[in-house]
Amino acid sequence: MKYILMMNTMKAGAAAFGSWPKQDIQAHIAFMIGLNKDLKESGELVSAEGLSFPDQAKLVRAGKDGAPITDGVFPESKEFLAGYWIVEVKNPERAYAIAARASAAPGLSGVPMNMPIEVRQIMSGPPPDLL
Amino acid sequence: MKYMLLMSAPKSGFDWYAKWPKKDLQANMAFMRDFSKELKESGEFVATEGLAWPDQAKIVRAGSDGAPITDGIFPESKEFLAGYWIVDVESPERAYQLAARASSAPAPEGTQGSMPIEVRQIMSGPPPDLL
Repeated sequence: MKYILMMNTMKAGAAAFGSWPKQDIQAHIAFMIGLNKDLKESGELVSAEGLSFPDQAKLVRAGKDGAPITDGVFPESKEFLAGYWIVEVKNPERAYAIAARASAAPGLSGVPMNMPIEVRQIMSGPPPDLL
Repeated sequence: MKYMLLMSAPKSGFDWYAKWPKKDLQANMAFMRDFSKELKESGEFVATEGLAWPDQAKIVRAGSDGAPITDGIFPESKEFLAGYWIVDVESPERAYQLAARASSAPAPEGTQGSMPIEVRQIMSGPPPDLL
Protein backbone atom coordinates (compact mmCIF):
# COMPACT_ATOMS: atom_id res chain seq x y z
CA MET A 1 0.00 0.00 0.00
CA LYS A 2 1.33 3.41 -0.93
CA TYR A 3 0.80 6.39 1.36
CA ILE A 4 1.76 10.04 1.09
CA LEU A 5 2.78 11.73 4.35
CA MET A 6 2.37 15.47 3.99
CA MET A 7 3.95 18.15 6.11
CA ASN A 8 1.76 21.24 5.81
CA THR A 9 2.37 24.69 7.20
CA MET A 10 0.82 28.13 7.24
CA LYS A 11 2.80 30.95 5.69
CA ALA A 12 3.76 32.16 9.19
CA GLY A 13 5.13 28.71 10.09
CA ALA A 14 7.35 28.65 7.02
CA ALA A 15 8.61 32.18 7.80
CA ALA A 16 9.31 31.16 11.43
CA PHE A 17 11.33 28.14 10.27
CA GLY A 18 13.43 30.47 8.11
CA SER A 19 14.33 32.53 11.20
CA TRP A 20 15.39 29.60 13.43
CA PRO A 21 19.00 29.63 14.65
CA LYS A 22 21.25 27.89 12.14
CA GLN A 23 22.09 24.99 14.49
CA ASP A 24 18.39 24.21 15.04
CA ILE A 25 17.78 24.18 11.27
CA GLN A 26 20.81 21.93 10.83
CA ALA A 27 19.55 19.52 13.51
CA HIS A 28 16.10 19.47 11.85
CA ILE A 29 17.58 18.74 8.42
CA ALA A 30 19.93 16.08 9.85
CA PHE A 31 16.89 14.37 11.40
CA MET A 32 15.10 14.38 8.03
CA ILE A 33 18.18 12.97 6.27
CA GLY A 34 18.35 10.21 8.92
CA LEU A 35 14.65 9.42 8.47
CA ASN A 36 15.03 9.18 4.69
CA LYS A 37 18.07 6.93 5.09
CA ASP A 38 16.18 4.57 7.42
CA LEU A 39 13.22 4.44 5.01
CA LYS A 40 15.57 3.66 2.12
CA GLU A 41 17.19 0.86 4.12
CA SER A 42 13.83 -0.67 5.05
CA GLY A 43 12.81 -0.51 1.38
CA GLU A 44 9.77 1.63 2.21
CA LEU A 45 10.84 4.94 0.65
CA VAL A 46 9.28 5.68 -2.75
CA SER A 47 10.13 9.37 -2.87
CA ALA A 48 10.58 12.43 -0.70
CA GLU A 49 10.64 16.05 -1.77
CA GLY A 50 10.80 19.49 -0.22
CA LEU A 51 8.92 22.36 -1.82
CA SER A 52 9.95 25.98 -2.18
CA PHE A 53 8.55 28.46 0.32
CA PRO A 54 4.89 29.64 0.15
CA ASP A 55 5.88 33.16 -0.97
CA GLN A 56 6.78 31.62 -4.35
CA ALA A 57 3.53 29.64 -4.68
CA LYS A 58 1.19 30.45 -7.57
CA LEU A 59 -2.39 29.55 -8.26
CA VAL A 60 -3.09 28.96 -11.94
CA ARG A 61 -6.41 28.67 -13.78
CA ALA A 62 -7.19 28.31 -17.46
CA GLY A 63 -8.78 31.39 -19.00
CA LYS A 64 -11.49 31.02 -21.67
CA ASP A 65 -8.78 30.77 -24.35
CA GLY A 66 -6.90 28.18 -22.29
CA ALA A 67 -4.07 30.60 -21.42
CA PRO A 68 -2.89 30.61 -17.79
CA ILE A 69 -4.28 33.17 -15.34
CA THR A 70 -1.71 33.35 -12.54
CA ASP A 71 -2.41 34.58 -9.04
CA GLY A 72 -0.20 34.65 -5.98
CA VAL A 73 -2.76 35.67 -3.36
CA PHE A 74 -3.97 33.01 -0.92
CA PRO A 75 -6.34 33.18 2.05
CA GLU A 76 -4.66 33.68 5.46
CA SER A 77 -5.91 30.20 6.54
CA LYS A 78 -4.28 28.45 3.56
CA GLU A 79 -2.11 25.44 4.39
CA PHE A 80 0.93 25.04 2.17
CA LEU A 81 2.63 21.74 1.50
CA ALA A 82 6.19 22.10 2.80
CA GLY A 83 7.34 18.62 1.88
CA TYR A 84 6.24 15.02 1.66
CA TRP A 85 7.25 11.39 1.77
CA ILE A 86 5.71 8.62 -0.29
CA VAL A 87 6.13 5.25 1.40
CA GLU A 88 5.24 1.71 0.43
CA VAL A 89 4.09 -0.08 3.57
CA LYS A 90 2.28 -3.25 4.66
CA ASN A 91 -0.59 -1.50 6.44
CA PRO A 92 -1.92 1.91 7.43
CA GLU A 93 -0.56 1.52 10.98
CA ARG A 94 2.99 1.43 9.63
CA ALA A 95 2.28 4.64 7.68
CA TYR A 96 1.02 6.25 10.91
CA ALA A 97 4.16 5.10 12.78
CA ILE A 98 6.42 6.69 10.14
CA ALA A 99 4.27 9.85 10.23
CA ALA A 100 4.66 9.98 14.03
CA ARG A 101 8.42 9.75 13.65
CA ALA A 102 8.41 12.64 11.15
CA SER A 103 6.07 14.54 13.47
CA ALA A 104 8.66 14.43 16.26
CA ALA A 105 11.36 16.15 14.17
CA PRO A 106 13.42 18.52 16.33
CA GLY A 107 12.34 22.14 16.44
CA LEU A 108 13.71 25.15 18.29
CA SER A 109 16.39 24.13 20.82
CA GLY A 110 15.97 20.52 19.64
CA VAL A 111 12.51 20.11 21.26
CA PRO A 112 10.32 17.65 19.27
CA MET A 113 7.84 19.63 17.18
CA ASN A 114 5.06 17.01 17.24
CA MET A 115 3.76 18.69 14.10
CA PRO A 116 0.67 17.37 12.32
CA ILE A 117 1.38 15.05 9.38
CA GLU A 118 -1.46 14.36 6.95
CA VAL A 119 -1.56 10.72 5.86
CA ARG A 120 -3.35 9.80 2.63
CA GLN A 121 -3.42 6.58 0.67
CA ILE A 122 -2.31 6.81 -2.96
CA MET A 123 -4.67 5.11 -5.40
CA SER A 124 -3.46 2.71 -8.06
CA GLY A 125 -5.78 4.27 -10.66
CA PRO A 126 -9.41 5.05 -11.46
CA PRO A 127 -12.03 2.27 -11.23
CA PRO A 128 -12.02 0.24 -14.52
CA ASP A 129 -15.61 1.22 -15.44
CA LEU A 130 -14.61 4.87 -15.58
CA LEU A 131 -11.78 4.33 -18.05
CA MET B 1 13.38 22.94 -12.93
CA LYS B 2 10.96 20.62 -11.20
CA TYR B 3 7.48 21.83 -10.34
CA MET B 4 4.60 20.19 -8.53
CA LEU B 5 1.09 20.98 -9.81
CA LEU B 6 -1.41 20.36 -7.03
CA MET B 7 -5.12 19.86 -7.48
CA SER B 8 -6.93 20.46 -4.16
CA ALA B 9 -10.53 20.91 -3.09
CA PRO B 10 -12.59 21.11 0.07
CA LYS B 11 -14.60 17.98 0.97
CA SER B 12 -17.68 19.50 -0.71
CA GLY B 13 -15.79 19.56 -4.02
CA PHE B 14 -15.18 15.81 -3.80
CA ASP B 15 -18.86 15.17 -2.96
CA TRP B 16 -19.85 17.26 -6.00
CA TYR B 17 -17.44 15.37 -8.27
CA ALA B 18 -18.80 12.00 -7.11
CA LYS B 19 -22.27 13.06 -8.36
CA TRP B 20 -21.16 13.85 -11.92
CA PRO B 21 -22.84 11.74 -14.59
CA LYS B 22 -20.68 8.77 -15.55
CA LYS B 23 -19.97 10.09 -19.05
CA ASP B 24 -18.67 13.38 -17.62
CA LEU B 25 -16.39 11.48 -15.23
CA GLN B 26 -15.16 9.38 -18.13
CA ALA B 27 -14.46 12.49 -20.23
CA ASN B 28 -12.57 14.05 -17.33
CA MET B 29 -10.44 10.93 -16.82
CA ALA B 30 -9.78 10.55 -20.54
CA PHE B 31 -8.49 14.14 -20.53
CA MET B 32 -6.20 13.40 -17.58
CA ARG B 33 -4.83 10.29 -19.32
CA ASP B 34 -4.11 12.28 -22.51
CA PHE B 35 -2.45 15.00 -20.47
CA SER B 36 -0.07 12.47 -18.83
CA LYS B 37 0.62 10.92 -22.24
CA GLU B 38 1.54 14.32 -23.72
CA LEU B 39 3.83 15.06 -20.79
CA LYS B 40 5.58 11.73 -21.30
CA GLU B 41 5.99 12.42 -25.02
CA SER B 42 7.43 15.89 -24.40
CA GLY B 43 9.84 14.43 -21.80
CA GLU B 44 8.45 16.70 -19.07
CA PHE B 45 6.73 13.98 -17.05
CA VAL B 46 8.20 13.02 -13.69
CA ALA B 47 5.26 11.61 -11.73
CA THR B 48 1.53 11.81 -11.19
CA GLU B 49 -0.69 10.34 -8.48
CA GLY B 50 -4.28 10.41 -7.33
CA LEU B 51 -5.04 10.24 -3.62
CA ALA B 52 -7.74 8.41 -1.68
CA TRP B 53 -10.74 10.49 -0.71
CA PRO B 54 -10.78 12.91 2.23
CA ASP B 55 -13.02 10.66 4.34
CA GLN B 56 -10.01 8.33 4.65
CA ALA B 57 -7.52 11.09 5.48
CA LYS B 58 -5.77 11.08 8.86
CA ILE B 59 -3.72 13.58 10.77
CA VAL B 60 -0.92 11.98 12.78
CA ARG B 61 1.17 13.54 15.53
CA ALA B 62 3.78 12.02 17.79
CA GLY B 63 2.68 11.74 21.41
CA SER B 64 5.17 12.47 24.18
CA ASP B 65 6.31 8.81 23.97
CA GLY B 66 6.72 9.09 20.18
CA ALA B 67 3.70 6.83 19.46
CA PRO B 68 1.26 8.02 16.79
CA ILE B 69 -1.85 9.95 17.84
CA THR B 70 -4.31 9.64 14.95
CA ASP B 71 -7.17 11.98 14.24
CA GLY B 72 -9.62 12.11 11.34
CA ILE B 73 -11.37 15.40 12.05
CA PHE B 74 -10.59 18.38 9.87
CA PRO B 75 -11.94 21.93 9.73
CA GLU B 76 -14.75 22.50 7.20
CA SER B 77 -12.49 24.84 5.21
CA LYS B 78 -9.67 22.27 4.88
CA GLU B 79 -8.46 21.80 1.33
CA PHE B 80 -7.54 18.21 0.52
CA LEU B 81 -5.02 17.26 -2.12
CA ALA B 82 -6.87 15.22 -4.77
CA GLY B 83 -3.90 14.54 -7.00
CA TYR B 84 -0.75 16.05 -8.44
CA TRP B 85 1.68 16.08 -11.31
CA ILE B 86 5.43 16.60 -11.05
CA VAL B 87 6.95 18.05 -14.21
CA ASP B 88 10.48 18.93 -15.22
CA VAL B 89 10.35 22.10 -17.32
CA GLU B 90 12.59 24.83 -18.72
CA SER B 91 10.87 27.76 -16.99
CA PRO B 92 8.15 28.65 -14.49
CA GLU B 93 6.04 29.96 -17.40
CA ARG B 94 5.98 26.48 -18.91
CA ALA B 95 4.83 25.07 -15.55
CA TYR B 96 2.01 27.67 -15.51
CA GLN B 97 1.02 26.68 -19.05
CA LEU B 98 0.82 23.02 -18.07
CA ALA B 99 -1.15 23.95 -14.94
CA ALA B 100 -3.60 25.90 -17.13
CA ARG B 101 -4.04 22.84 -19.31
CA ALA B 102 -4.81 20.68 -16.25
CA SER B 103 -7.14 23.45 -15.02
CA SER B 104 -9.16 23.26 -18.24
CA ALA B 105 -10.04 19.55 -17.75
CA PRO B 106 -13.66 19.03 -18.82
CA ALA B 107 -16.39 19.79 -16.28
CA PRO B 108 -19.98 18.44 -16.42
CA GLU B 109 -21.98 18.94 -19.65
CA GLY B 110 -18.73 19.00 -21.62
CA THR B 111 -17.92 22.54 -20.51
CA GLN B 112 -14.30 23.65 -20.10
CA GLY B 113 -13.20 23.55 -16.49
CA SER B 114 -11.15 26.23 -14.73
CA MET B 115 -10.21 24.62 -11.43
CA PRO B 116 -7.37 26.24 -9.50
CA ILE B 117 -4.02 24.44 -9.71
CA GLU B 118 -1.33 25.35 -7.19
CA VAL B 119 2.15 25.49 -8.71
CA ARG B 120 5.16 24.95 -6.43
CA GLN B 121 8.80 24.54 -7.26
CA ILE B 122 10.46 21.41 -5.88
CA MET B 123 13.80 22.05 -4.26
CA SER B 124 16.83 19.94 -5.10
CA GLY B 125 17.81 19.83 -1.42
CA PRO B 126 18.81 22.04 1.48
CA PRO B 127 21.55 24.66 0.95
CA PRO B 128 24.98 23.02 1.57
CA ASP B 129 25.72 25.17 4.64
CA LEU B 130 22.67 23.73 6.40
CA LEU B 131 23.81 20.13 6.02
